[in-house]
Amino acid sequence: MEFGSLILQMLVFPGLLFTAVVGLVTSWVDRKVTARVQMRVGPPFLQPFYDVLKLMIKETCIPAGTSRWLFLSAPLFGIAAVALASLLIWRAFIPLGQTFSGDIIVILYLLTIPAMAVILGSFASQNPLASLGGSREMKLMLAYELPFVLAILVPVIHTHSIRLFDMLAAAPAVAKPSGVIALVVAMVCMQAKLTLVPFDAPEAETELTGGAYVEYSGPLLGVFKLTRAMMLFTMPIFLVAVFCGGIAFGQGWLPILLGVLKYLGLVVAVVLIRNTAPRVRIDQAVKFFWGPMTLAAFAAIIAAFLGW
Amino acid sequence: MELLLNSMVLPVTFPLAAGILCLLLPKAFDRARAVLAAAASAITVLIVCRLLLEWKQLPSAGPIIFSDPTWGSLRLDHLSAFILLVTAVFGFLITLYSIGYMRGKERLREYYAYLLGTIGVACGVILADNLLLVLIFWGLVGLALYVMIGMAGSDAAAAANKTLVIVGGSDCLLMLGVAIVWMLTGTLTLSSIRLDLAGGFRYVAFLCFAVAALAKAGAMPFHSWVPDCGEKAPASVAAFFPASLDKLLGVYLLVRLTTGMFVMNTAMNMLLMLVGAGTIICAVMMALVQHDLKRLLSYHAVSQVGYMVLGIGTGMTLGIAGGLFHMLNNVIYKSVLFLCAGSVEKKASTMDLDKLGGLARVMPLTFGSCLVAALAISGIPPLNGFYSKWMIYQAMVDSSRNGNYLWIILLATAMFGSALTLASFVKVLHSVFLCKRSAALRHADIREVGFTMWLPCVGLAALCIVFGVFAYQLPLKVMIFPALDGVVKFPGAWYAGLATVLLLAAYAGGALVYLLSTVRKARACNTYIGGEIMEEMFRHKGADGKVENVEVTGVDFYRTVEDLPPMRAIYGAARRKLFDIYDVGGKAAFFFVEILRRAHRGLLPMYLTWVLAGLLVIWWLLLSGGRLMI
Repeated sequence: MEFGSLILQMLVFPGLLFTAVVGLVTSWVDRKVTARVQMRVGPPFLQPFYDVLKLMIKETCIPAGTSRWLFLSAPLFGIAAVALASLLIWRAFIPLGQTFSGDIIVILYLLTIPAMAVILGSFASQNPLASLGGSREMKLMLAYELPFVLAILVPVIHTHSIRLFDMLAAAPAVAKPSGVIALVVAMVCMQAKLTLVPFDAPEAETELTGGAYVEYSGPLLGVFKLTRAMMLFTMPIFLVAVFCGGIAFGQGWLPILLGVLKYLGLVVAVVLIRNTAPRVRIDQAVKFFWGPMTLAAFAAIIAAFLGW
Repeated sequence: MELLLNSMVLPVTFPLAAGILCLLLPKAFDRARAVLAAAASAITVLIVCRLLLEWKQLPSAGPIIFSDPTWGSLRLDHLSAFILLVTAVFGFLITLYSIGYMRGKERLREYYAYLLGTIGVACGVILADNLLLVLIFWGLVGLALYVMIGMAGSDAAAAANKTLVIVGGSDCLLMLGVAIVWMLTGTLTLSSIRLDLAGGFRYVAFLCFAVAALAKAGAMPFHSWVPDCGEKAPASVAAFFPASLDKLLGVYLLVRLTTGMFVMNTAMNMLLMLVGAGTIICAVMMALVQHDLKRLLSYHAVSQVGYMVLGIGTGMTLGIAGGLFHMLNNVIYKSVLFLCAGSVEKKASTMDLDKLGGLARVMPLTFGSCLVAALAISGIPPLNGFYSKWMIYQAMVDSSRNGNYLWIILLATAMFGSALTLASFVKVLHSVFLCKRSAALRHADIREVGFTMWLPCVGLAALCIVFGVFAYQLPLKVMIFPALDGVVKFPGAWYAGLATVLLLAAYAGGALVYLLSTVRKARACNTYIGGEIMEEMFRHKGADGKVENVEVTGVDFYRTVEDLPPMRAIYGAARRKLFDIYDVGGKAAFFFVEILRRAHRGLLPMYLTWVLAGLLVIWWLLLSGGRLMI
């Protein structure tokens, strides 16, 4: 019984299906806000769904002479991991089952898998443009992972727990100055984790023609697009949960609305940054994350130890 | 009881006897020798299993200790049972792999003799309860390592010497430690010693033992023999010694030290944790920029020790369990990686990342097991490496409740270390297996290796998955938690098994939909590079006008990281071997030798002056002594 309900949670709510649907809606928000910034009308509400569905019925091309099974399965690793991460986050919001100590670490590691799937997929393409894209993705991951982990540790210091549920129960981290700094750092890292401008060097349409995705087509590309949309949903929700007290269910409509607004605020911030910033080179990105961002994260950690 | 003592001695004596037999077989029987060695190591596994079963059937399944006039005292408890079993199993797998890998090489007689002998003496280290016995077996393992590295030929001699100096030097410290412990307690029986760290001598003793354990396991700053050894020695030796056996023994001794012989205090735990975190990050940064596959893997062999030491340094039972589990996992995936490297070397005859490439298609089994092991070492859930790291992190957060604030930096370091590990394995996977074949290999006929070589790789890679998914049910519950006397407080499990089933369900569902419906009619097509033809686009004229291919081999992936301002200086210093204890130690020794040498110029007047000076000193001593007597 427990097992059946878990499968259901994984595949429908709050796992794969729910995350996919909300992710696609979020990507509609992204495209609509982008359009408004650029003085366009923007796509209709269902456009992201149409896009993914259309990719599903397109032909798949596989590069000659590559490891076929890796090329085919790389997108699936990513989508399964992000669905599982989303499931773990939502289990802390809504009592769907027991949460466990250390789930934050599991989520952090799971959230690196989509990037890794892109890298493996790009390498399996045997295309020099994809290889460059993959290597940039890896360097970007190296760059943001350090400040991101440090930023996530700030609420851990506040609550002395690595369990998401305890963080939701305690006062939100942003109530303290250290939490605010950490949130800002984490938001910048989130931008890079989503490979959005200014940190979109791995894809760089103008020079690498999509970089990592260059050889992907049809359903496999659709899965990658879907994974990106799901990440666009899961990452802000994770930050809302860790830093801002999450979305409180079971206390009427107002807290839920407030939670959704927090989430949308983060999403809109992501979209606005991506529309107003230029792309940075990969070495600039590495310097930026290992320099100022890491220092800021350290400052936040020291402040957190001092109780600020 | 008599039967049990015999079966306890047998894991030591049987492989030694088989090793001598291998040495005696004439050269014409090389094939038979290899099979005989594999059979003997398999029988050793059975002997160990029988011993463990007999021990389980005893009415009191606790630790048992024998005092025997010929053997000193022997002990079997849960910790040694666990390490013993893993040692025997890995001995068998490496011997099996050697059949194919070493075929046609020189000096096979000694190779198999030493391999089997090492299994025997390693079992001796684990079963001995007498410190002198431990010391002897421990030294023999180091000696076997020295000989087996040297077997690779003349260019391995320097690596072998370096190993002997560092490992042998640490053995001397171990000897000193044993002497101090004997002076303090008057006993050499390991199980009866329990010292608290009060007073200078006890610290010295602890540090002596710890240095020996860390040097054997390859933790910084005693690591520098591992990369040299890994690069020069045969892959099977690298997979057996620095990747598995030396980890097993080093961590075994460290756990014995911290949970048995000494009562740890906060300062010493902190020291261990600092060593651990430093090892993780420094070694993995070095691994990032290596160009030789086996050398790169060796740096990871160093880096992974960091996690084990970190776990043991938390002083929490959970952390020590995590450290032990990480050791087991590391032995599994690091052996896979070294063995895969050996298979690649066998087929492509090079370990230079620049000259490899495109092997995924022709060596699918090697590639698959290497991929799984690479992901496991990078701590990707739900593989085994993740589970043990996660236990260690938990223990670190728990130990923070004692007001231990440095942990947060160490935790971030350890977590960042896995990103760096992933990065360097991404480079390996790309440049060995996935990118286009290099010009040198383009027309080579490369096929998958024979089954004695891929079987250990695939089997162990499967174990990476099984131990990750059923971590709690299999290795932890059966082997590791019993090895620690204290009840391990497990603050909640991450449902690895369940999560994996879910991942697989998602995976299978997706695979079913996409693969069946679309991939069947998938078209294989050439890669798209903006309409250009790859061969033409990536061909440029070198400085001498010669046309050469420019491919993305992955070797330069992290040039960006290397060129960052502080990194460049650090890497420069590392290339000048400023962090190599062997090199620095050597320089220091020569400095003092040079000073002493100045006193020996071969001039008679100078020697006479020395004699006179000596006489004066003796005279003064006698006089002052006489005065004291008065």
